[in-house]
Amino acid sequence: MLLLTPLVFATLTSIASAARLTVSIPSSPPLLPNPGSLAPSTHAILLGPPGTRYSAPLRRDNTFAFPDLEEASYLLTIQSRDYFFPPLRVDVTKAADGQTIAAWQTFRGNEWSNKGPQYGSAKGTLNIQVSPSSQKDFYQHRGGFDIMSFVKSPMILMGLVSVVFIFGMPYIMDNMDPEMKEEMAEMQKKGPLSGSNGAASQIQNFDMAGWLAGKGSGAESGGTVKKR
Amino acid sequence: MRASNRANAHIMLSTLLTAASLFLVPALAVFADEAWNVDYHFALLGAPKEETSFFHQPNPSSRASLIYTLSEQHALGAVNPRDGSLVWRQLLSSDGVAYRTSFLRAGEGQDVVISGIGHEVAAWSAADGRLVWTLSTDGPLEDVEILELSDGKETAGAKDAVALSSGANPTVQRIDGASGAVKWQFNIDGSDAPYQLSASSTQIFAILLHKTILGYVKLRVVVLDPVTGHKVDEYSLNSENELSTTENIVSVGANSASPMIAWTDSLYTTLKVNVVGTKSIQSFDIAAHDDSPIEHVKVHAPYHVNSLSHFLVHYQTAASHWADVFHINLKNGKVEKAYSLPKLAGRGAFSTSTSDANVYFTRVTRDEITTVSSASHGVLGRWSLNTFGVAAGIGEQVEPIHAASEVSVKGDTVSAIRTTILLSTGDWVMLRDGKGIWNRPEMLASTMVVTFALPADAATLVQQLEVEAHSNPVAAYIHRVQRHLSDLQRLPSIIVSLPQQIVKGFLGTSADDLTASDTFGFRQIIVCATRGGRLVALDAGSPDKIVWNVNVADLQPGQSREPFLASRIAGVVEVSSRAGAGIQYNATNGQPLAERLPVVPEGPQVPSSQVVLYTMHDGTLEASFNRTPAWAFTPMHGERIIDMVPRPVNDPVASIGKVLGDRRVLYKYLDSNIALLVTAQDSMGTANVYVLSTVSGAIIYSNVHTGVDLTIPIASIMSENWFAYSFTNEASDEASKGHQLVVGELFESLVPDDRGMMGATTNFSGMQTATEPFALTQTYQIPEVISKLAVTRTRQGITSRQLLAVLPDSNGIVGIPYGAVDPRRPVNRDPTKDEQAEGLVRYTAVLEFDPKWFLNHQREIVGVKNVFTSPALIESTSLVFAYGLDIFGTRLSPSFSFDILGKDFNKLQMLATVAALAVATFIVAPLVMRKQVDQRWRFL
Repeated sequence: MLLLTPLVFATLTSIASAARLTVSIPSSPPLLPNPGSLAPSTHAILLGPPGTRYSAPLRRDNTFAFPDLEEASYLLTIQSRDYFFPPLRVDVTKAADGQTIAAWQTFRGNEWSNKGPQYGSAKGTLNIQVSPSSQKDFYQHRGGFDIMSFVKSPMILMGLVSVVFIFGMPYIMDNMDPEMKEEMAEMQKKGPLSGSNGAASQIQNFDMAGWLAGKGSGAESGGTVKKR
Repeated sequence: MRASNRANAHIMLSTLLTAASLFLVPALAVFADEAWNVDYHFALLGAPKEETSFFHQPNPSSRASLIYTLSEQHALGAVNPRDGSLVWRQLLSSDGVAYRTSFLRAGEGQDVVISGIGHEVAAWSAADGRLVWTLSTDGPLEDVEILELSDGKETAGAKDAVALSSGANPTVQRIDGASGAVKWQFNIDGSDAPYQLSASSTQIFAILLHKTILGYVKLRVVVLDPVTGHKVDEYSLNSENELSTTENIVSVGANSASPMIAWTDSLYTTLKVNVVGTKSIQSFDIAAHDDSPIEHVKVHAPYHVNSLSHFLVHYQTAASHWADVFHINLKNGKVEKAYSLPKLAGRGAFSTSTSDANVYFTRVTRDEITTVSSASHGVLGRWSLNTFGVAAGIGEQVEPIHAASEVSVKGDTVSAIRTTILLSTGDWVMLRDGKGIWNRPEMLASTMVVTFALPADAATLVQQLEVEAHSNPVAAYIHRVQRHLSDLQRLPSIIVSLPQQIVKGFLGTSADDLTASDTFGFRQIIVCATRGGRLVALDAGSPDKIVWNVNVADLQPGQSREPFLASRIAGVVEVSSRAGAGIQYNATNGQPLAERLPVVPEGPQVPSSQVVLYTMHDGTLEASFNRTPAWAFTPMHGERIIDMVPRPVNDPVASIGKVLGDRRVLYKYLDSNIALLVTAQDSMGTANVYVLSTVSGAIIYSNVHTGVDLTIPIASIMSENWFAYSFTNEASDEASKGHQLVVGELFESLVPDDRGMMGATTNFSGMQTATEPFALTQTYQIPEVISKLAVTRTRQGITSRQLLAVLPDSNGIVGIPYGAVDPRRPVNRDPTKDEQAEGLVRYTAVLEFDPKWFLNHQREIVGVKNVFTSPALIESTSLVFAYGLDIFGTRLSPSFSFDILGKDFNKLQMLATVAALAVATFIVAPLVMRKQVDQRWRFL
C-alpha cells in the first residue's frame, strides 16, 4: 500500500534509522475550525532524493506519520481537496547520537537554501503543526444583473446624455438671456451644418428626383452642392 | 454637440479596448452554474472481490450499515447501500503494482476495518476512511484475521488482528487492535509455505503447505495459543494423494465456532472436510448432476464465532449449479450433510448472513432470489427477478457472479433483504426485496482504451451530405430534393411538438436542451474497451446510463488483452486486438456489423501517426514508412526510451502564424510529422528530450535535464507547433527542488514577417531540406506531479488550446490556458504595449494551479490513466473524457462559448430589454416628432 510507498529502498533501511516525523493539523479558525472535516483523501508527500518518496494518509487524530526517515533533505507537501498547505523543507541529518530532524517553510521557485521560518527541530522524533494557508475556491460566479452596473455602462451613459440634450437643450435655450440667444443663433447660422445653406439642411432637402434628372447643374435648385 | 460626440466616441473606443483586453487575458474557469451539470463522474472502485465485500455497521451503536469492499484494482471503499454513492475510498496501490492477494476484515461491533495487502496491514476508520494504524511486515502477507476471542479476558475495546506473512522468515503476528503494535510474534520454522490462518474462539491455527517428494501437497497445521503466541500443537493432515495444487483447497474457514478445511480431488469427485483441530477427515461424494463437468466448488460459511457451525458447498458447472448444506457437530467434530438445494440452470451466487446465532443462505440465480435457513431447507423468502436492469448484449444472459446479503428475519419469514450482486456484465447492483435500487458500472474501472463516435443517426446525415458534395451538381440536387422529401415525413410529428418546444425555448436555456437533435455534437458515443473483454458505450450528452455493453472477447483467466479502438467511419466503432479478428460495431446500439478486420500484429505498439509506423525493438525505436524501414533511433548506452508522442493525426491548425500586437506575424513551424521523444539515463539521473522529424528521423530539437527523479512519471505532449513535458528534479545550484513543466514552441523564424529558409518555397520535403525550427522554451515550477498531459481539440483549430494535466496527488485534472505557459512571456521585464495586446504577461517562475482551473472542481477523480479529447460539432467546444479507475467527462470552451448561448445568457432579461425598448420607443416617438416639428418652425 502507499503508506510507505516501497519505491526503491524504503524497506531496506528500516530499523537502523529512527528519524520520525509527525505532522499534525491543528484547529485553525476561521479557515479550518475542525480538521476532522478534512476529506479522507488528504495526504502528505515527502519527496526525498530521486527514488525516495513517501506518502502518508491522514489519520483519525488529524496527523500524518512518517516513520524511519533516512538522512536526506525532503520536500513536504500536503494535498487536500479543499485547502492549500504551505510546502515545507524537512532535513534529516546525522548527529552524534542518532539523527536530527528539522523542518522549515520553503518557497516554490526559490533556491533550496532559501528557508523560511523554522517549524521545529528535534532529535529522533519531530512533531510539527501545519495550518492551511487558504481555502480552494473552485467556482467562478457569473456577474448577475445589477442595476448600478447597467446604468454605469457607457452605452446607457451615452443614451442618457443624449436624452439630456434632447430634452434639456430647448429648456436651456428658453432660459437663456436674449443676447446669448442671438449669439447662438448667429453661430448656428455660420456653422456649416445649419441654416438653409448648411450641409445638414442641404442633405435634408436634397432633391433626389431633380438630381437624377440632371437638373442640378448650377440651375435654380436648392440641391446644388457646388455653390461655394 | 460635436464635442460630446467626440467624447462619446472616445468612451466607446476605450470600452472596446477594455472589453478586448478582458478577452485577451482569459480567466478560464469552471462556472458555478455549470459545475455539476456539464461534467459527469463515476467514482468507481473496480470489480469487488467476493471474499472482501461485506455489509458492516461502521458505528456499533447504530444499525445502519455500509458495504465495504476491497476491489481487484486494490481500491478500498465504503458504499452507501441506499443509493450506491461512495462514502470514502482509499487506493491501496497507487503505482499500478498488482498484488496476488488482498484481505479486508471487519470485527463484529468494531468501528474499524482492517486491510492487508502486500507488506502492509492497516486499520481504517469505518465511518470516514481515516487511517487508524498501519504496520508493515517483513514478508508478503498471506492472511489477516481478526481475533474473536471468547475467553472473557478480552476488553471491550478494539479487537486484535493476526497476520501471517511468508518470505524468508514466515511469521504469525498478533497486532494490537488499538495501536497497531505487535503483541507477539511466532516464527514458523521449516520450509513449508504459509497458506492461511484460521482462528477459533480459543486457538489460532496457521495452515502451511508441505510439498511431498511426489509433488503432492500436504497440509500442516500449527496450533498457537492466542494469549502467549506459543506453539501448543502441530500435526499434518493425511491429504497426500488428492491434493496436487492449492487450487483444489476449497476453503479454510476462520472465525467460526469450529473452523474447517475443505478440499477436493482434481476431478471434483469427492469433497474432503477436516474440522481444524482434529485429525479426522471426512469425505463426501460429489454427485454429477448433468453432463458438463464441475468448474468450481465454493464453500460459504458464517464468519462469526457465535454462529451455528453450518456451511454450504456450492457446485458450479457450465450449465447449472446446486448446493449442499452441512452441519458440524461441535461435540464430536463430525460433519453431516443436512440438506441439498436443487439444481438450477445457469450460474448461481450464494451469500451467508447471520442474525444472532442463526445462519441464512441467500441464493441468487438468473431469475430469482431465495433465502433459506441453515437449519432446514424451507424457503423463508423468495423474490422473482425479471431483469437486473443493466445493459447487456442482445441475447446475452446476465448471470450473477457473487453476492453479499443483509437479511432481517421476523419469525419464520424474511421481512427485508438487501443483496449486492456482481453481474457477468461487470455491473455491481443492489437489490432490495428483489427490486433494483442502484447499479455501479464497475467494469468501467478497468477501461483500457476509449474512442468517440458520432451516433449512427447523426452519422447518416454527415454521410448524405458527403455524397452530395462529391457528386455532380444535377445528381446532388436530385439527391437533396429526395432527402428533403423523405424529411417531410417527419413534419407532422414536428408540428405536434412545436408548441411544447416554443414554451421550452422561452423557459429553458438553449444549452441544456440536449434531448432534441444534437446540433452541437455534444451527444457523442464514448466507447470503452475494458480489461474484462467488454465494450461499454456511454452517451456524452446523458452519461448517467450505459447505452450498451457487449462482450467482445471470450478471455481465458490470465490472458491479457490489448484492444485498439477507432471510429474511422462515423457511426461505426472498430475493435481490433491481438487476441482475435477485429469487428465493427454500430455505435448507437452496439450491434456487430458484418465486416471483419485483420488481427493486429504482435510486438509492442507505439502510437503511430498516419504514415509512419513505430515499433520498439530491444530499446530501439524503429520507424517504417509504407511498410519499409525508414529510420531507427537507438538511444545511447544506458539510455532508455520512456515515451514517444507524435503530433496527433487529426490536429487542425487554423492559422500558420501568430499575429503579434503590431499586426506582424511570427510563422509557426508546422510539420505534421514531428514527435516528442523522452529518454532517461538512469545511471546519471538525466532525462533527454528530443523533437524528431518522423519522416527523416532527424533530431530538430533536443534538451537535457539533470538531477531528474526518474521513478516519478514524466508526462509529455505534442500539438500544433508546441510541446510540453513535466518532470521532478532534485535541488541543485541552478534549480529548486520540485516539479517542473517545460513548454516549448517551434517557429520557422524568430523574426516577424519572415519565413526563414522556407520563405520562397511553396512545397517542401523533410527528406530533402533540413530545416531546423527556432525553439522558444520556458520552464515553470509547478506545485505537484503531472502524470499525464493532454490537449483540447476543436473542429477547426481556431479556438485556442488548453493544456490538460492529470494531477494524481490532488486527484484532479487541471486545464492550463496556453497563455499562462506561453514561452513568449517576457522575462525580467514588463510586457510592452504590443505584448500586452497579445495577452502576454510577465514571466514568473512559479505556476500555481488556480483552483478555478480544476475541471473536476470538488469531485475527486482517482487513478486517472489517460485523458481523451474530441472535438464537438461547434468550434468553441472540446469534449474531454478521462478514464483509469474513475470515469470523468466534461465539455470545455478554451476561448469561451463564442458560438453558442451559454447559461450566462438570460432569456428573460433579453425579452424584458426588448419590451422596455418597445415601450420607450412608443413614449419617445411623439415627443421626438413634436420636437422635430418645433425645430423646423424655429430654424427655417
